[in-house]
Amino acid sequence: MSTVTETGTGSTSRGNSSVAPQGGSRRSGWQRHRSWVLPVAGAALALVFLAPYIVMLLNSLRPSSDVVQTPPTFFPREWQLSTYSQILTDERFLNWLKTSVIVAGSSTLIVILVSIPAAYYTARFRFPGRMAFLLLVLVTQMFSPTALVVGIYREWFNFNMVNTYAALILTNAAFNLAFAVWILHGFFASIPKEVEEAANLDGCSRFGTLRRVMLPLTMPGIVTAVIFTFIAAWNEYVVALTLMLDESKKPLTVGITSYVTGYEQHWDQLFAAAIVAIVPVVVLFAVIEKHLVGGLTAGSVK
Amino acid sequence: MTSRHMGAVRVAAVALAGGLALAACSGGSGAGSAGGGGASDSGQKVKKIKLVAAEYSKDHTAAFWKQFADKYKAKTGTELEVQVVSWDSIDQTSSTMIQNNNAPDILNLNAYASYAKDGLLYNADEVLPASAKSDILDAFVKSGTYQDKLYGFPDLSSARAFFYNKAIFKKAGIAAPPKTWDEFEADAKKIKSLGGDTIPYALPLGPEESQGEFSMWLFNNSGDWKKDGKWTINSPENTEALTFLKKLTDEKLTQNNPGKTNRADAFNLFKSGKVGMVVGFSPLAGQLDEEKKVDYGVAPMPTKMSEPQTFGVTDYLMAFKKPGNQEAVKAFYDLYYQKDQVNQFIKAEGFLPVTKSGIEFFKDDPKLKVYLDTLPNAHLTPTDDPTWDKVKLAVQQNLGGAVGSGGDPKKVLDDLQKQAESGS
Amino acid sequence: MPDQQSSVVAAGSPAATTAGGADGAGTPSRGSGVRTRGRGGARGDRASLGSALLWLGPALLLIAGVVVYPAIELVRASMSKFSITGLRLGDAGWTNYTNVLDHPLLPTVLVNTIVWVVAVVALTIVISLGVAQFLTKDFRGRKLVRWAIIVPWAASLVITAKTFVMIYDFYYGTANLLLSKFGLGPVDFLGSDTWIMPSMILVGVFVSIPFTAYVFVAGLGAIPRDVYEAARVDGASPFQVWWRITLPLLRPALLVAAVLNIIYVFNSFPIIYTLNDRNPGFSHDTTITFMYKLAFKSAEKDVGMSAAAGVFNVLLILVVVMVYLRFTRWREETA
Repeated sequence: MSTVTETGTGSTSRGNSSVAPQGGSRRSGWQRHRSWVLPVAGAALALVFLAPYIVMLLNSLRPSSDVVQTPPTFFPREWQLSTYSQILTDERFLNWLKTSVIVAGSSTLIVILVSIPAAYYTARFRFPGRMAFLLLVLVTQMFSPTALVVGIYREWFNFNMVNTYAALILTNAAFNLAFAVWILHGFFASIPKEVEEAANLDGCSRFGTLRRVMLPLTMPGIVTAVIFTFIAAWNEYVVALTLMLDESKKPLTVGITSYVTGYEQHWDQLFAAAIVAIVPVVVLFAVIEKHLVGGLTAGSVK
Repeated sequence: MTSRHMGAVRVAAVALAGGLALAACSGGSGAGSAGGGGASDSGQKVKKIKLVAAEYSKDHTAAFWKQFADKYKAKTGTELEVQVVSWDSIDQTSSTMIQNNNAPDILNLNAYASYAKDGLLYNADEVLPASAKSDILDAFVKSGTYQDKLYGFPDLSSARAFFYNKAIFKKAGIAAPPKTWDEFEADAKKIKSLGGDTIPYALPLGPEESQGEFSMWLFNNSGDWKKDGKWTINSPENTEALTFLKKLTDEKLTQNNPGKTNRADAFNLFKSGKVGMVVGFSPLAGQLDEEKKVDYGVAPMPTKMSEPQTFGVTDYLMAFKKPGNQEAVKAFYDLYYQKDQVNQFIKAEGFLPVTKSGIEFFKDDPKLKVYLDTLPNAHLTPTDDPTWDKVKLAVQQNLGGAVGSGGDPKKVLDDLQKQAESGS
Repeated sequence: MPDQQSSVVAAGSPAATTAGGADGAGTPSRGSGVRTRGRGGARGDRASLGSALLWLGPALLLIAGVVVYPAIELVRASMSKFSITGLRLGDAGWTNYTNVLDHPLLPTVLVNTIVWVVAVVALTIVISLGVAQFLTKDFRGRKLVRWAIIVPWAASLVITAKTFVMIYDFYYGTANLLLSKFGLGPVDFLGSDTWIMPSMILVGVFVSIPFTAYVFVAGLGAIPRDVYEAARVDGASPFQVWWRITLPLLRPALLVAAVLNIIYVFNSFPIIYTLNDRNPGFSHDTTITFMYKLAFKSAEKDVGMSAAAGVFNVLLILVVVMVYLRFTRWREETA
């Protein structure tokens, strides 16, 4: 029980500095410097991770021929902003974008709805086949989609669902279930049982406990699972390539290959499209990121 | 087990239906209305056919097929469903469909013989209007013919030519493009002596399309892949050609690591003005004209023969036998080979014609002259032999090794020869 | 993992774990107590199969409906003989499997795979631990740094790989442009047999870090602050705290990250396929690109053989993951 109480107390001190505890003697010196050392280190880290995408961005801002020009230059020899307006007014591109949003969004929703009960239950209860279930989920990740695509096509063909969003959404959901189940399982498993018992004493039903107590506590896990599933579905290629026939129903990953063929290269448009495609994911992340830390600071235990 | 038998039954049924449809229609194209007789078969006409088309360019391929589908629908009442697929993925897409016994009605690809060999395709007698057949250039009729029947109907073609950078030639004091291999090598050395980072010749022998580059050289050394029905991959002529390319590499007359350079990167170097000479084709000319950075000339390939030879390529629109689709497929070809369709497509994509009337259509375009002159006599790779569909891949994956350090052209070609002989 | 013994002991008796948990939270410096907050699963209530099916039903349905059938098809294809067009010609028995095993370049491919997976996963996890620790610190602009690090994860792998081609290229690559400023290079990152694998590994690590780091950030986020407070009271050094508290408490996240990374890195296709596309043959392929090339890009051009390679891949990764789980005593940990 002490854990519960202390968890509650912990919630009041949101300071993340406590994550990196420091020895008392060096503390004051460090405190003086940390206000500028950390932001500088952060900027450096961000730069490392953005570097290739800065190259990508600069490539989207120069004419296609400049992208593969020898000798290369870091900045465009000639700045070209028109590529973005070209992309964003291209009906085909907008259709690909729409498909990607629909497919990734729906797949994510399904994965979360399906994985939460499964993860919760496997974490909380022992029953025959529990291990087998967790392993089965994991095994689904072991198949390379390229190897399975023939069977996936046949299945949806038999259901007369080739070229439908539903087929692509369900396929994406099924293949991304494992991550969500596993990470949520880990989170549910690490929540002290006392938390739940306390809630039960308060008269919550099992489902009510899950919703009002457990979910807020596993928020970091749910957020991670949402991001993961969304990105995986957002970037899926081979199944979409095979299932989606109409130009207007292709997702971005498939459509984007049009920009550079063996005979014609629009590197500027390819990279501009790729940059635009990153934006929805980063926006989604920005919206839910605050829940990544602090499931325990949400005060849900009160 | 059962479903395996089902599969076999399905194949048999398709073949049977195809046969019946053939019988029903053998009276001529107009006889479809008769219908009666033994035609109590499954000969229900399809209302929709499907085309899987390779994507040549973003702006033109899908747009062309969309207008084509509209016209086709207006003309026949049949719907044409088009799936445009990138070249990188089209093998996988088509294989997936065929593995599921669900081939498209029409498939656009760079090979057809294996499909003909598997008995999946209609031949020209079955679906190609006679007027269209007689219009196709002889070279392409030959390359599209498997076991005496035309199965590979060409959609467009290309031919290689020799591109050179006029500014670099001028700087190196080269008056005219080289005509022979000796002149070529001498000119390459002149360019090399300019110093700096100028590359005399861009040689793409990477796995993407090395058979194309090598073809251009071996055809100009009176070599060939196959002669009189026998594989001649390791013929003395071919070995000499590849040894010559190895020599160019060793003398550093090429770009870095030619065995690991794909076509696009060789072209990129040429487009950057860094390269004196490269083997190109009309889409490269299109890009160069658009970018207007390099002053280039196009000439026939340097040769060791009396006349320069060229390497031609054609892609195919093949038709799959499926129950009830024969007439719809025939109507497809009837429309495609209309002058305003096929040539409009070829013009938009920047390729070369496949028909005699197409040569007429394009003959006033000065830019295409150098290709059109050579096109009717262009050498093709043996696409009419199903074995080539595998040999080509073996060539692509191995040729680059011959020019690398320690590479042995003779041994590489000997191995490929062995592979080809065991395959046929 | 020095605390493994304690975890096993603790897991042996549910009560012990609970006690250890509560106790550990209060006095973490006490070695074995660090196992802390008892894992719920370790003391899970018994439940009937029926109610289990109710909660797991949707997941099972989705898996059975979408994954199982194609997997069966894969096995079927691996036992079939195909024409290069994809037309099924008949039964092949085990010949596709023996053809894969007899392939002269299989040993090379396997060695490449081991190097690739071990290097990428190990580097990813070590670096991600550091990145995650850093990301949980409070500083101005932290939010922006977090947004930046999501980008390599958010971007399409194929396009990221293509961008790295632009960076690595011998002639027009940005990396060689930078090297030349220091009077170095040019290096043939993608065409040289020595450089290609390290170049690919760098990209593999680069794109795997964000996902892994965020699993760790989420894991760190779930660790109660008071555990650290208590540790500080006990006068533990920062390293001791990290080693004794953070790392053990991060174990579920570490385990998930490691297992999933092993699987994803093993199955990773676009990076190797794109960066390696100029190199002929199989000399720098892993089992996944090997499988794809068998079907579509090599002289074998055989979807049956490729399917057999696909089955081998699944078995291989299954064994690796089982061994890993065994090694890290996952069973005791959560069962």
